[in-house]
Amino acid sequence: MSGWDVIVAGIAKAVQLILSGDPTVLQITSLSIAVSGAATLLGALIGISTGTVISLKQFKGKSAVVQIVNTLTGLPPVVVGLVLYLMLSSSGPLGFLKLLYTPQAMILAQLLMVVPITTSITISSVSSIDPEVREAAMSLGAGQLSETMIVLNEARLGLLTSVVVGFGSAISEVGAIMMVGGNLLGYTRALTTAIVLLTNQGEFAEAIALGIILLSLAFVVNILLTLLRSRFAGTSSYTPSILVGPSAPRNP
Amino acid sequence: MNLSEMIWIAAAACIIVVAGVLVAFSTRPRALLVIATTTSTVDTGLLDYLKPYFDLRFRANMTWLYLGTGQALAVASRGDADILLVHDRAREDAFVRSGNGTHRVTVMYNDFVIVGPSSDPAGVAGAASTADAFRKIAAVAASGQATFVSRGDGSGTNSFELRMWSKAGISPKGNSWYFDGGGGMAPTLRITNEKQAYTVSDRGTWLKLRSTMGDTLNLQILYQGDNELLNPYGLILLNETRYPSIESQLAQDFFLFMISDEGQRLIADYKVGGQQLFTPVFGKPETMGLPLETAAIEYWVAQLKANGMKPPSWVSASQGG
Repeated sequence: MSGWDVIVAGIAKAVQLILSGDPTVLQITSLSIAVSGAATLLGALIGISTGTVISLKQFKGKSAVVQIVNTLTGLPPVVVGLVLYLMLSSSGPLGFLKLLYTPQAMILAQLLMVVPITTSITISSVSSIDPEVREAAMSLGAGQLSETMIVLNEARLGLLTSVVVGFGSAISEVGAIMMVGGNLLGYTRALTTAIVLLTNQGEFAEAIALGIILLSLAFVVNILLTLLRSRFAGTSSYTPSILVGPSAPRNP
Repeated sequence: MNLSEMIWIAAAACIIVVAGVLVAFSTRPRALLVIATTTSTVDTGLLDYLKPYFDLRFRANMTWLYLGTGQALAVASRGDADILLVHDRAREDAFVRSGNGTHRVTVMYNDFVIVGPSSDPAGVAGAASTADAFRKIAAVAASGQATFVSRGDGSGTNSFELRMWSKAGISPKGNSWYFDGGGGMAPTLRITNEKQAYTVSDRGTWLKLRSTMGDTLNLQILYQGDNELLNPYGLILLNETRYPSIESQLAQDFFLFMISDEGQRLIADYKVGGQQLFTPVFGKPETMGLPLETAAIEYWVAQLKANGMKPPSWVSASQGG
């Protein structure tokens, strides 16, 4: 029984802490959102464009590149943290940038983990588009850019997924941002690193409060995804008008 | 609006948002002082307690890296922190000797305690000395009736513990009863609690965790009070010529603040559950059996006065008389 008491009391105190708008909790939460948001947006830009190029272009060693990207999606955060720490440290090769223990360093660390994820999901969703869509677009005399747009439009749900998965992995990451951010109070302390510290110190109520916030963020992002999905899927975009005509006769 | 327009707009929006975030973070907050310190000064809440006083007095933003002494020294030796507050005298002296640090004084102390299950299968409570307590634990542990959790993180507490093992003539590593926790003091105490094992803790972290965890911390202090268990904390100023990018002025402010009458009083006044966790000792290390620091103390008392700050009462008294 006593075991449950601790948890229940923790949750009660956590809710109270969240509702009271504790400034430290707010600061930590907004830092997490800003850092992971920036890392995800940058990661999506880089990953989606890289992924599109890889999947649309034919080149030697393509399958090896795809393999490497897929492997990098499992990049261990602590390794990213260690390498970045050594690079950014004052005595490291990039020490002159003075980035160690700053939010930018945290963005960089998360970016390194988000890019493989967005790239990989982009590759698989673009590659799974019916090749006839592309051929059709080509045969209509579409230029390279508009052809790419048509394909990306077809793959839009996959691209959206890549952004959401990327954000999910960024916001829940601990090891790398702990090492390069330093978990400095009021500056680089994020939700996950604060939870580690609070748990270490036996401050379970505060840890649970931040845990609830972290979960809620993931929940909100997923709801947004679902909403966007239904909207995206609902709008009849311009693709069908191009596709149905030329491609239908070829496939009777 | 067609898709390509949408993509351009989305990309532009992304860039604006990211640029905004980067600009918001672009400057290190003014007067950010990064202290590389041991887990005990953080886990006890001492630094959280001192922060508002220091921040207000020096219009600073004091913050810290939560590390063991070994890692704190390593991080500082790479120039990644502004000042050190640690507790491992031998390595502190080596750090200063190597030229990484310029000044070191003993600023406060607490003591180590041996904690374990109240049943005390090893009979540590009746030990004749600290080394004897370690021998008793090892003897009972060898027959499978006790375990020991070590910090195992190269911290000051860890190196104290290893010193005691070697004094007891025992090499604990590799034994099945010896767990290497690899973490801070509070997490190590929580592991010890779950395993109902023995460990060594600084008293401050022990008291703080006792007060946060209450009855769920089912361990007891079994051995304490031996002179050998004293745990002094050193404050080390880094070599600003070697590390030009550190906040050396703020670091000096913090150094002075900690050894001043105000800082030393604040340390003495910090209590958890009615108990004092650290005893200020700047200017009188000999009272706890430590070597004299006469030259350093004279220099820093002069610095305090030059900066319009008061040395602690006991220092002025001894200087006056």
